[in-house]
Amino acid sequence: MTPQFVIQALLIALGSGFLGALLGLGGGVIMVPLLVFVLGLPIHIAAGASIVAVVATSSASASVYMRAEVTNMRLGMFLALATTLGAVTGAGLVAGASEAALKTVFGATLLYASGVMWHQMRSTRRSWVPMPNDHVAKRLRLGSSYFDAARGEEINYGVSRSLPAFVITYLAGVESGLLGIGGGGINMSAMNAVSSVPMKAAVATSNFMIGVTAATSALFYIRHGFVDSFVTAPVVLGTLIGSLIGARVALRVRGVVIKRVFIVVLLVLGLRMITSGVGLL
Amino acid sequence: MSLRRMELFVSRLLRLGVLVCGVTMALGLGLLWWSGDTSSPFGVLSVEWVLWGDPFLQPSHVLFLGFLILVATPVMRVVASVTTYVSEGDWVYAAITGTVLTILVAGMFLG
Repeated sequence: MTPQFVIQALLIALGSGFLGALLGLGGGVIMVPLLVFVLGLPIHIAAGASIVAVVATSSASASVYMRAEVTNMRLGMFLALATTLGAVTGAGLVAGASEAALKTVFGATLLYASGVMWHQMRSTRRSWVPMPNDHVAKRLRLGSSYFDAARGEEINYGVSRSLPAFVITYLAGVESGLLGIGGGGINMSAMNAVSSVPMKAAVATSNFMIGVTAATSALFYIRHGFVDSFVTAPVVLGTLIGSLIGARVALRVRGVVIKRVFIVVLLVLGLRMITSGVGLL
Repeated sequence: MSLRRMELFVSRLLRLGVLVCGVTMALGLGLLWWSGDTSSPFGVLSVEWVLWGDPFLQPSHVLFLGFLILVATPVMRVVASVTTYVSEGDWVYAAITGTVLTILVAGMFLG
């Protein structure tokens, strides 16, 4: 453990947190591979540091969403049932998983995420279509409303296809526990694309969910000694600073350019992870 | 307590948690610089070490306490929700949030 190591870890986290915040994500997907390849850390330790950082960014940004009153707590709690169960599943698998297996799964996840983002960019932007509550959502009163300051009106929305969304967010939880990432991207698309929840509500609700999910995984990682103090401290500090700067800059930069950069970064890191996982390089 | 007041209270609690964690981490890294002790425990941790450290106040243990405070913040948020739903007599959601809390804590004792 040297000062250079601490500073390098801090810088990697700062960059990932910054880039993640620009896209409304936690940045764990970039941070874990960078910690593995640049600092040569075992993937278990990199994931342990990342999962604690995910908790930090979620809690730090929660107050912003809570003040705006867009977080749908009922929907968040309902889906948190799925994500925390998933996190326990994933974290249970991580203790027995080999370095090579984790790298390969991580790499495949990165390639998939990069493909999904590329596809989203190419497809024409559909506006949000309001849908009524399905029968589960009706019983659990999952639909909600919020005041949209940009449009100056109250937005009412229902939650459709709540069971498919439940299953998808369970998988997001597994991924979070297994790889030490937040899984916010999956949560958001499950709520927005599957259940037709407006994006603003989906982002805020996902922020709540990843905090609870990551805390579940983090407790397991801590107990199993995958949270190394000297790696995790600079990573948490760096991510917090990076995401704070990123959130500010996000309002002023064009999303398309960042998204393109992000897709390429995910692709490169994903391929590198897989080649390293299967022992090619 | 109303839902709205509870949310504001929790939002303050979350920020406080992050702040305390940040301060603890700065302290721990400072202690590391000063003492040069970089020993870090590996393997399954005992509850005693997590609570008291051995020796107490070694840098890795101080940093560790910071992480625990941080990880406790979302847990507090769920606890607050359980309390609110119970006080409102909303038993369905009291059960849902109670289950989430159980899974959250149970994860620590798995494996």
